[in-house]
Amino acid sequence: MSTSSTTAPVGPGDTAGPGGTAGPGFADGTHHELSAGRPPLAHRLYSVWLRHVRVYSKNLISNALPPFLEPLIFLVGLGLGLSRYIGVMEGLPYVEYLASGLMMTAAMFTAAFECSFGTFIRLEFDKVYDGMLGAPITADNLLVGEILWAGTKGFVFSLSVLVIVGVFGILPVGRMLLAPFLGFLTGTMFAALGFLVTSWVKNINQFNFFFSGFISPMFFFAGVVFPVDNLPAVVRPISEILPLTHPVRVTRAFSTGEFEPILWWDLAYMILMTVGVGWYAIHRLRRKLIQ
Amino acid sequence: MAEPLIHVRHLYKSYGDLVAVNDLDFDVPPARCVAFLGPNGAGKTTMMKTLYGKADPDRRDDTEIRVLGFDPRTDELEVKARSGVVPQENSLDVELNVLQNLRIFSTFYGIPWRKARDRVDYLLDFMELEEKRTAKVRELSGGMQRRLIIARALLNNPSLLILDEPTTGLDPQVRQLIWDKLRSLKRSGVTILLTTHYMDEAYQIADSVLIMDHGVKVLEGNPGQLLTEHMESHVLELINVDAQSQVESHISDGEIRTEGSGERVLYYSSDLDRLQAMVGELSPGEYHLRQVNLEDLFLKSTGRSLNVHQ
Repeated sequence: MSTSSTTAPVGPGDTAGPGGTAGPGFADGTHHELSAGRPPLAHRLYSVWLRHVRVYSKNLISNALPPFLEPLIFLVGLGLGLSRYIGVMEGLPYVEYLASGLMMTAAMFTAAFECSFGTFIRLEFDKVYDGMLGAPITADNLLVGEILWAGTKGFVFSLSVLVIVGVFGILPVGRMLLAPFLGFLTGTMFAALGFLVTSWVKNINQFNFFFSGFISPMFFFAGVVFPVDNLPAVVRPISEILPLTHPVRVTRAFSTGEFEPILWWDLAYMILMTVGVGWYAIHRLRRKLIQ
Repeated sequence: MAEPLIHVRHLYKSYGDLVAVNDLDFDVPPARCVAFLGPNGAGKTTMMKTLYGKADPDRRDDTEIRVLGFDPRTDELEVKARSGVVPQENSLDVELNVLQNLRIFSTFYGIPWRKARDRVDYLLDFMELEEKRTAKVRELSGGMQRRLIIARALLNNPSLLILDEPTTGLDPQVRQLIWDKLRSLKRSGVTILLTTHYMDEAYQIADSVLIMDHGVKVLEGNPGQLLTEHMESHVLELINVDAQSQVESHISDGEIRTEGSGERVLYYSSDLDRLQAMVGELSPGEYHLRQVNLEDLFLKSTGRSLNVHQ
């Protein structure tokens, strides 16, 4: 023990090591309690989540406007335009039909972007993770925290659609209050899928396959703009496999007030998909974070 | 002798066929500074990363790693909670300002911000960044960013500081400042581990250096002692290779060791008079007579030619 070389008292947190040492004595002597062992799991996840919140809210204007503008553009462009011809779809006024679906696509897009391009840039270009992993956080904590952040974005983005449709009186807001929570689930599910793709890609351009080949088509084949029942019989099973179909069906049930047993399957699908794909993708991504 | 703060035995790390770290052993006593030297690809960074769980060492039964009393393979969080890490590449959130960057890390360490604020004030003053507290990281110079990362690594008042090439690419003033700070940390009881390509950096702040090459430890010890034990005292650098014939008559016996590096010939000897006699045959500008330094030792022990990873 070489405590004789220290100038500050040895703090309680410093007693664990051999050499038990060196509460490295800064002259102010107030913070020997600072390095008092590992923070608990919930705090570690929270601190990763909070990091993303802080960086995101740094550019609040440019980050917070699109979630309100995009649904507005879609509702005006598609809703008002098409509803003159369509009127009612599956028992709902077309604008209402569309609006309930858009709550979930908003969550999908933001989470998928965050955990593909966003994750890749933090990993390869900004080296943010290298710094974070010097702090008491494991690679798994970091990745789970990021999925929770993407879920939060899903919540906020669906909520902003809800605000728009509420302001314009398109949907009965009271019935839709649970939809942002579904947006959270949708966000975590697409975060997990984004992670999986991120663990595969060699360079950032390969994400184009993910978005053009998977995410964008889902906008049309998951029951957002027209019911999947209208698709040819051969295509229908495919739409049942697509992840977006499930949250859209649940949120539409909120809108119609008709809850069918199949919604349990939809919820189970979302949870299984998030946990299963998330677990596998984190396992793969960990190898990019830990050499 | 105090119990070592870091204890490593039979550390191996391979990437496919490449063995990055090959059977490495070393100990670091508390409140010491150890510098790892070696060409690019020697395994320095990889070795450092295994100490805080950023790299998984090969699974072997004979490997022993103890850092601050913990095994980073199973207790990386305990190690990191008590250590500060300065990675090779700057890893700050460039959109945020200095305080915001420190705040994010104080949360990672579980230090509430109101408690951390005194610490932050102290560290900004310590790293001489006081005036930059609200400046965006993007607007900071390379040297300031490096100092901010060091301040960030000190937030939790660590017992161990791990720095991967802390001063690479910085100007002499900033390097001197960082060395001063590291010396003062060491004096206050912090154990410091660093990798560097700068021989003067190792000489200035390290109590002991460990030279690695191809993942293997080549030499280890106090820099001054290593020079006395492994090197002659002086070297005559012949810059004009054509003048070689003029001095050849002096190097007949074993008192002078000759080393060629293409456009330069080096004559090492502990007999200064003899080297000075050689100088008598040469014109100014053709030679440089000096004491040997760590760089000579480094080049002698790791070879002068480049390896495939450099």
